[in-house]
Amino acid sequence: MTSQNVKRAKAGDDFAIQTFNLTRKFNSLVAVDGIDLNIKRGELFALLGPNGAGKTTTINMLCCLLKPSGGTAQVLGYDILKQPFKIKETIGVSPQETVISEHLNPQENLVLIGKIHGIDTRELKSRSQELLETMGLEARAKDQVRKFSGGMKRRLNIMMALIHNPKVLFLDEPTLGLDPQARRAIWEYIIRLKKEKTILLTTHYMDEADFLADRIGIMDEGKIVALGTSRELKTGLLDILEKHTIVIHAQNFTQKVISEMRTRYAEVEVTEDTMVISDKQLGFQEIVDLLHISGVTVSSAYTKEPTLDDVFLNITGKELRE
Amino acid sequence: MRLLALASRNLKETYRDPLALGFLLGFPLVFMLLFGAIFSGDETPNYAIGVIDEDNTPLSQAFVDEALAQVPVLEVSTYDDTATALRDLKFGDLKAYIVIPDGFGQQVNSNWQGDKADITLNITYDESDIMVSEQIVTIINATTRAFAQIEVPITINAEPIYIETEIDYMDFIGPGIIVFGILIIIPTAARTMVSDKEKGMLARLLTTPTRPIDFILGYSLGLVLLAAAQIIIIMLATWLLGLNMTGNPFLAFFVFLLTSLCCIGIGMVVASLTKTENQAEPLCWLFAMPLAALSGCWFSIELMPSYLRTFANAFPFAHTIEASRAILIRGVGLEAISYDFFFLVGWAVAIFALGVILFRRSMRS
Repeated sequence: MTSQNVKRAKAGDDFAIQTFNLTRKFNSLVAVDGIDLNIKRGELFALLGPNGAGKTTTINMLCCLLKPSGGTAQVLGYDILKQPFKIKETIGVSPQETVISEHLNPQENLVLIGKIHGIDTRELKSRSQELLETMGLEARAKDQVRKFSGGMKRRLNIMMALIHNPKVLFLDEPTLGLDPQARRAIWEYIIRLKKEKTILLTTHYMDEADFLADRIGIMDEGKIVALGTSRELKTGLLDILEKHTIVIHAQNFTQKVISEMRTRYAEVEVTEDTMVISDKQLGFQEIVDLLHISGVTVSSAYTKEPTLDDVFLNITGKELRE
Repeated sequence: MRLLALASRNLKETYRDPLALGFLLGFPLVFMLLFGAIFSGDETPNYAIGVIDEDNTPLSQAFVDEALAQVPVLEVSTYDDTATALRDLKFGDLKAYIVIPDGFGQQVNSNWQGDKADITLNITYDESDIMVSEQIVTIINATTRAFAQIEVPITINAEPIYIETEIDYMDFIGPGIIVFGILIIIPTAARTMVSDKEKGMLARLLTTPTRPIDFILGYSLGLVLLAAAQIIIIMLATWLLGLNMTGNPFLAFFVFLLTSLCCIGIGMVVASLTKTENQAEPLCWLFAMPLAALSGCWFSIELMPSYLRTFANAFPFAHTIEASRAILIRGVGLEAISYDFFFLVGWAVAIFALGVILFRRSMRS
């Protein structure tokens, strides 16, 4: 065993997913450009990026659907090139498109995947029952899924990735195209799975990554352009920008107060009942007191945090459109 | 287990889809009912044909009196010479006349004794009416075959000849319609596979431990079961509509099933070469419809130019129609249709192998 392999094997004990200069080209297009990821066991890792960033291509390589053009990856210590069927036995994949058998009922869809994974009928029955109850589909267990709403189909799509109790779960855009209520229901279920499983989730919704992920890898043009927890990414941006912002809502900003604030702080913008103050350093209490003394009735005030969109914009110069 | 799970899913996906199922069963049944209705009414066609018996043996006479005379659509008159018959044909009094050549009785007798010998009949017909003349040739052809190859006791000279089969139109059209029904398996198979590719089901299942061979066998098993059900239903329907099943229906069923394997193989090849249902479906019909016509699903191929017949014979369907007619109408066994049977076996193996290679390749891309 070479020293590099030893290192990889040891690292594999801690990490569920590792990529080593993973690359995929489609003719001249480099869809995934030499990414190196280390996803810990039990971690929920989100790949966040716009459409076409290379997120799905990355997942497709990790679940052995697509061969890399360069580099490799390991899932639970198994190499995607050398042991694809070992990997397929241990993973669950919920594809970006809702892929279900439309003329089968949810129970039959779950049984199909369960049997493919060699689960015995009795266990399959209890597991599918449990999943249907958890996902709120037990009342429709015998209806053909072609009659289901988009949200119900999406839930089944995820359940099919879970029926064989995989150790690693790939969720490719799990809430794509769903209404806020359906998205929230799926988020709640994903949160329940955290710690039990290693989850690699791709999304182009920054709020989804922000809400669900332990760590986020921001992806653009095939590369991981930023990596860390949501807080780390945002704090990092604050450090880079050296700019803090406070937003104040009040009814009676006078010209005198506005002028006073502009002499004290670098940027002050006022629109009707809102004042936005930005500077390298800001004292929240100091500003509120100052406004109070000047006779302004403050109805609300908060420190504005950068969003992941701001982080993406700062790094790539583009907006992360939803 | 994987294979059965996949086969069961594929079967359910098709039989629970009313459109797909309706197409698979309804389309050939509609054709059958249509043909059945056309030829089962009171106004059956009546074709005047003349017969000149140059053989003049008890067998040739029996052929005229027992076989030809019993065909409901034929009105048979005997002539002493061809000149008179030709005159009547030209005047339109006859649609065709048959000359039974010297040696006909001997040829038939040889067949009855188990020595295969060619039966020669000379038919002169009015070719201005293409459909009618073609039907007459087909009817006479089938009647002669039924007469010559039928199993009868050795004591033929002592007993009047027993004609087991009365040939009617459903007997000609039945096997063709069944084969046409089987041909619909081609678009059904291609659609099932391409749809899974197009909608991502194949990709999803490829993230499980399923091996490519599991998919191929899973699709095939589901489709074979569906084809078997379809064949049974169409065979029953043709029987109800008047197809005389003289021979072993199980042997005929097996021949049809072999043909359905060929169709699944062709569907697999089409599915490998296409990416969407919209591409696969027209391609299948482009293939199936001309082949149905060329193979004789709806009318006899006897009058087709020889190069077209050679082309049709390169595919399984003309062989199926020939073999199934031989079994169902003439009551022959496996031995008599061995060439067609092994042609079908060879074709099924070859097209399946090609389908498997191509489909595996398309799964990787």
